[in-house]
Amino acid sequence: MAVRITGLGIISAIGLTVAENLFSLENSRSGIAPVKYLDSKNDFLVGEVKCSNAELLGYLNIKSQPVSRTSLLGLAAAREAWGRNRHTPELRTGFISATSVGGMDTTERFYKDYLDQNNPDYAVLRCHDSGNTTERIAAELGITGYINTLSTACSSGANAIMLGARLIEQGKLDRVLVGGTDALTNFTINGFRSLMIYDDQWCRPFDESRTGLNLGEGAAFLLLESDKSARISGNPTICCLSGWANAADAYHQTASSPEGTGATMAIQNAIEVSGLSALDISYVNAHGTGTKNNDLSESTAMINVFGDNIPDFSSTKPFTGHTLAAAGAIEAVFSALAIQKGLIFPNLNFNTPIAETGLVPITELQKDQPVVAVLSNSFGFGGNNSSLVFSVNR
Amino acid sequence: MYINAASTISHQPTFRNAGFSELIEPLDNSSELISPNYKEYIDAGLLRRMSKILRMSVAAAKDCLTQAETAQPGAIIVGTGLGCLQDTEKFLNTFLSIEGLLPPTSFIQSTHNTIAGQISLSIGNHGYNMTHTQNTLSFEHALIDTSLLLGEGKDNIITGAADEFIAFLDEAAEHLNASSKHHLTSGASFFILGKNKTEKSVARVKDVRTAGLIQDIDAAIDSFLLDNFLNISEVDLVLYSDFSEKEKMDSVAHQYFNEHYHADSKLINYTKLSGLYPTNSAFAMHYAVDRIQREPKLKNVLILNGLNKINLGLTLIESLEA
Repeated sequence: MAVRITGLGIISAIGLTVAENLFSLENSRSGIAPVKYLDSKNDFLVGEVKCSNAELLGYLNIKSQPVSRTSLLGLAAAREAWGRNRHTPELRTGFISATSVGGMDTTERFYKDYLDQNNPDYAVLRCHDSGNTTERIAAELGITGYINTLSTACSSGANAIMLGARLIEQGKLDRVLVGGTDALTNFTINGFRSLMIYDDQWCRPFDESRTGLNLGEGAAFLLLESDKSARISGNPTICCLSGWANAADAYHQTASSPEGTGATMAIQNAIEVSGLSALDISYVNAHGTGTKNNDLSESTAMINVFGDNIPDFSSTKPFTGHTLAAAGAIEAVFSALAIQKGLIFPNLNFNTPIAETGLVPITELQKDQPVVAVLSNSFGFGGNNSSLVFSVNR
Repeated sequence: MYINAASTISHQPTFRNAGFSELIEPLDNSSELISPNYKEYIDAGLLRRMSKILRMSVAAAKDCLTQAETAQPGAIIVGTGLGCLQDTEKFLNTFLSIEGLLPPTSFIQSTHNTIAGQISLSIGNHGYNMTHTQNTLSFEHALIDTSLLLGEGKDNIITGAADEFIAFLDEAAEHLNASSKHHLTSGASFFILGKNKTEKSVARVKDVRTAGLIQDIDAAIDSFLLDNFLNISEVDLVLYSDFSEKEKMDSVAHQYFNEHYHADSKLINYTKLSGLYPTNSAFAMHYAVDRIQREPKLKNVLILNGLNKINLGLTLIESLEA
């Protein structure tokens, strides 16, 4: 199976556009730094988009308020991915976004005022619900009809991409803009700190010394098109989305099983759907959050699937931070760039392999690589595991 | 797709009460959630930590498995408009008022996919696990996903929707001038949906469609009926929901169907029965199934979800005899 990817858009801690993100990836420039834009008492390390809300409103030329930062980030990325495409009655166009926080960035400010009895602005609650986050973006792009939001924690973005592909495969849509967006919030920072998996140093995925993640924020969208749609739009194909799968770990509400049960199933099934073999995978863009539990479970899953032939792999979260529902979409854009540009991105901050598995990620940028297929993993709370396979357009 | 089991926990006596559609009356503002004995469905240790939405959902999902005599579903798909509000509010209160080490449970359980995740955990299911949250269309999107999965060869899927009321919603609605005549309520409805008709089948979901940011409601209903080869007069019952509900003539359903229906009994505002929550079209689907099982003359029931005026959901339920 395969659907075409013909548009990419991204905004993250390492850039406001695809070109800026690529430049940072090629030059090993991380976007993780102490909190600057979020209203927070602490100076935790985070991957913030380097723009205030006022700057984003200006950059995007948005007048209508209230609007959540989640919608603004999503709109920036969705507009770039949509590009100069036009609406035409010939093509049924859909929009699927993923978010875990929705409008929580505005809700948590409201709720603080509410608790302090400091004249809370109830109007911002209109942008709390995740569906509204998505509708705001769709409305700006003029997309109507199939508009949907998925929320499966850290795998949400990958699931939105998968759902879009399935709708095209079954002929329900001709093209669909898919991706995810999440703003940084005190809600999520405090949440991950309460779980004691927030690193006060730079996150170190797949390193023996890893102690947790750094949260980030951002958004990414991809335009998926059927053959018919690509013929009508005339858009060149960047690469194809050829495999996808979701499986439940059913082990624990937050922890992943040590055997990597759900992760192994997601990876195996996604490769099977793609029609490729495990040996065809050139690069794995790992979920690699930097938590003890995820990286061990994911390493075990990679060993389960690939045995002694582990492909080149890395986690790009030391660049962007863990962007939750946006992560799967941001890393899908990175996977498409890996194929398009023949690059394998480095896993920053790595020194010592995990004792149990001994796996060593790629630590320096690899150029001029024949990257024909990329596996991208996204694993979330509730044991929600998704994998995607991207491949060159043949 | 065929409906092989249905289970609802709501403010009405819907749970394990076949024939409830003949008994229930519109809710009054003092109604409360009618909870089953959750201990019969959920391990006591887990139950202690579960919020209302999780209890309702896991119990209704498990009841469906019992009804369908299925040990493992092929997938679990959930729609929720506002997700786990009780735990979200609790964690907001926690981190905004406590310094230092915070208890993580309410954060863990605040994510929308806790519902589908807890169902998979409680039965040890490793299948596709998805959560749709498109406010009033969340359930319809879960149904569309289900039909895709059935097309991909999966079967016996648990699909449902849930939303929970918290007291803060009344306050917010008042401040947003969004107060409605309808009582804000909680509800969870789950179903087992299968590709083929079995001895457990009670009705069929013939088609389901969503239209977000809708421009022409009449045209959307026209094409939905046309695609299903139905004349307006062949729709035996319309279950509709309109948020505003000022005058009858204002409602989407009445405008469209008024000329054809002179009997009020053919047009039922299901929000009056279920109370108001974003995924109450799932309640309507169970109500439709229950009516169809009791009234052989009902062949086609249309659920017309106009709860949010910018979005339209259309679901066609067909009796097995149709």
